[in-house]
Amino acid sequence: MIPELIGLAGIALLLVLLTFGVPIGVSLALVGIGGLALLISPEAALIKSGVVSFETISKYELGVLPLFLLMAHICFAAGASRDFFDVAAKFVGHRRGGLALASIGGCAGFGAISGSSLATVATISSVALPEMRKAGYHPGFAAGALAAGGTLGSLIPPSGALIVFGIIAEQSIGKLFAAAIIPGLSQALFYMIAIAILCAVKPALGPSAQRVPWRDRLPALRKIIDILLLIVFVIGGLMVGWFTPTEAASVGVVAALLLWTLRGGFNRAAFGEALRATLRTTGMIYVVIIGAILFATFISVTGITDVLSGAVTDFHASPIVAIIVMALVLLLLGSFLDGLALMLLTTPIFLPIAVDLGFSPIWFGIFLVRTMEIGFVHPPLGLNVYVIQAMAKDIPLGTIFRGIIPFLVADFLHLGLIIAVPALTLWLPQVTGA
Amino acid sequence: MTAETESLEPPLAPPPEAGLGRLGHAAYWIGSAGLLIATAADAIAVAGRHTGFHLLGSIEVVQAAVVLIASSAMVAATIVGAHASVHILTERLRPATAERLARGAALLGALLFLLVAAGSIWVASDLWSGFEQTELLGIPLRWLRMLWIAAALLIAVLFLRSAFVRAAGRHSA
Amino acid sequence: ADHVLTYASPYPPTHPFSRADIEWMRHVEKASGGRIAFKPFWAGALISSDMSMVEIRHGVADIGLITPIYSRGGAHMLRAQSGFYGGVVDLADQVRVYDCLAAKFPAFGDELEGLHVLAVQGGNFPGVLTRNRPVRSLADLKGLRLRAQSDAIDVLKRLGADPVNMPMGEVYSALAKGVIDGVVAPADTIRSLHFSEVARYFTSVHFSRGAYPARAMSDRAWRRLPADLQALLAASKPVWEAALGREILKAEQAGIAFGREHGIQFQPLPASEQASFDRLYGEYARLQADQLAAFGLEGRPVLDAAQALISARKSRNDSSCGPAATPILETRG
Ligand code: NA
Ligand code: NA
Repeated sequence: MIPELIGLAGIALLLVLLTFGVPIGVSLALVGIGGLALLISPEAALIKSGVVSFETISKYELGVLPLFLLMAHICFAAGASRDFFDVAAKFVGHRRGGLALASIGGCAGFGAISGSSLATVATISSVALPEMRKAGYHPGFAAGALAAGGTLGSLIPPSGALIVFGIIAEQSIGKLFAAAIIPGLSQALFYMIAIAILCAVKPALGPSAQRVPWRDRLPALRKIIDILLLIVFVIGGLMVGWFTPTEAASVGVVAALLLWTLRGGFNRAAFGEALRATLRTTGMIYVVIIGAILFATFISVTGITDVLSGAVTDFHASPIVAIIVMALVLLLLGSFLDGLALMLLTTPIFLPIAVDLGFSPIWFGIFLVRTMEIGFVHPPLGLNVYVIQAMAKDIPLGTIFRGIIPFLVADFLHLGLIIAVPALTLWLPQVTGA
Repeated sequence: MTAETESLEPPLAPPPEAGLGRLGHAAYWIGSAGLLIATAADAIAVAGRHTGFHLLGSIEVVQAAVVLIASSAMVAATIVGAHASVHILTERLRPATAERLARGAALLGALLFLLVAAGSIWVASDLWSGFEQTELLGIPLRWLRMLWIAAALLIAVLFLRSAFVRAAGRHSA
Repeated sequence: ADHVLTYASPYPPTHPFSRADIEWMRHVEKASGGRIAFKPFWAGALISSDMSMVEIRHGVADIGLITPIYSRGGAHMLRAQSGFYGGVVDLADQVRVYDCLAAKFPAFGDELEGLHVLAVQGGNFPGVLTRNRPVRSLADLKGLRLRAQSDAIDVLKRLGADPVNMPMGEVYSALAKGVIDGVVAPADTIRSLHFSEVARYFTSVHFSRGAYPARAMSDRAWRRLPADLQALLAASKPVWEAALGREILKAEQAGIAFGREHGIQFQPLPASEQASFDRLYGEYARLQADQLAAFGLEGRPVLDAAQALISARKSRNDSSCGPAATPILETRG
């Protein structure tokens, strides 16, 4: 069998394993090891698995991922996420769809603490979903706004996905973080516009709540001043150069602990639970990364990547068309692949092509993560949707996915904007010299 | 359709860790220690830089701590069944069939971690007499490799147990 | 082709090292009359940068780039000996001295067990690139926070500098923001890592780094080749080494030219200062040699032999390994 065919068989087998519910990381790694055993030798495959696994778990740059997760868990335990939502709700809750707007604001705010889409959607949903349902919001609309809003967590820095991209693409994580700020904020803005339009057309989706008088709003704001300071300290310190992006995670954990202590409520049991929750999520991520690297090694040995990049080059299309084709491929793959696995798989293939076409690697990282985010909400493997469904088992999956459609439209328009105006991405890292 | 996310996040119900045993507790302790060491190392390095005192080799401390974190985190994720997976098909199957698939998936998980452990043992044995250590602080890596091998074997056992427990559950039902 | 060999490197195909690799592959393909063909894997697609010796030994790739100087275990002699070349004149000389040492000391071959060295590579000479304080003498190093590779850290500390180690990927932004004052790096980084945007002064302090085995084939893949092709590969060693030397120098010159265009001020270290630096470096090399005892290795004889070879070569342009050594063949595989 020629290597390319083995590669295709491997991909088919991967899909079968995934469909049968084999964990994503396990499927990727097994197909990868098996493929390498076939194409090179069983000995080489075993050695590769030994090398890859230990290199992955001893990588300094990847070590910041659990630390950013820990920071988010500590902030959650300190009540930061609830306060965020509360404040946003007090300010805009009286408008139509106001709680949905507040959810997007809460997601953006918590996204500046948390590095992951899943953590953000789970955290904000746990607060916002019951509130919205109490206020009579349409369940699909509420869930859709939260699922979409959660993806802000993986673009707004700190971003686990950008850390991983920076490692495999050998790009500065600081630059990537700076580049993500404007796209992240404008994405939130797009969602808010989508909500405003939806509620204008169909007010029943998000009935307005009681107006909160200004004298109650400002004290509420005081409740989150410490969190805002934390965010400004971590992101600002990073940009000014008090610490490097990798050190920012440790500094952030210490600052979050301080915040928790100052707020009161710090106790060993809760801290222990934050540590354990961090470890559980970290473990899942590491297995997927190890699996994805082994699978990517197998795929590159098959030569499929060369065939693919040749095809794109032969396309001789304008760079924009090539990028749109890549986006479509990413969305297609994203419908059945986990975001992280998708990125690890496609970066080695697409990045060189994109750079050849004249795109900056930093821009491409933002493009990739932005496209990958969409995969978190679109069927069938929109992980964010499952997170929400885990919390509100009475909302049918179909309802949630229908509720997401308007946000997907906003996503596509925003992605188009990022492609059309690279300056949105590249201006800030240039100005800050990140 | 929810198994994949149940233990992802804090707001969800705490996972069933009651019967996780001594090894599971050890995993949590080691991982938590790793998290605290990594935090402290970089935070002290930053603080030191701004006050003139210098901690050389903080990267190496973090790297070693990350091995503790990642190894035990994978054990922890396996204990609570937190590994991400696709449930598009399995949730539509009859419970008995889904159960059989889950058992198969657990067996594959065990197989993978046995393979990874074997590969890691092979690499470690190559380097065993090679005095593998970090550059500045001379942290010996062989013990970290041993820790990872132990974790991989433990994960394989946990997967096997889960396949076995599922099987037992099915027979008694 | 009769023999398709996989070649793997952690560098992208556009890197100077890779350009030399490609030149060598073309040479071998042509010289073998098409009997040998290569299937290259770049950018770490197949092998890791730190563990490639283990991987090639076990056949992950047939041939690949190895970096014993960065290895954390199993190659302490190869790593330490690259610091024994103080006073060496150029890259080509480094390679010749290495070959002599490798032929003389069995420890070299022991660490290369299961591998067949196809090319030895000289280490290029790093200098000190600083943001806003030019280094005109060794005293100027005092108090500077410099990112440095770990083998330079002890020397820098003794000169009163404040060496830090951080991932190379973070150096650019650390320089931009003044987290560090400078970096010890070869001149090619002025261009390749865009350091000209964030630094202004380059002082060529020669950290005399030495050669190390840099490209290797697994013994197994070697034995699969017929004798005439083995001989062809062995004979191609100088081709690869010359290509590497050329590309390394070219990248360095390109970096310097780029730096001049972009406002970097270059200054040599006065000869007397360089000499005292070399003395310090020599002391440090002796320390390194003695520290090999911790790994059951004898470093002093290697250091002494290296220094003897370097000074003999300087005085009479000697190209032999001296009377005691066997003629240069390939290192043991
Ligand atoms: Na984030
Ligand atoms: Na997806």
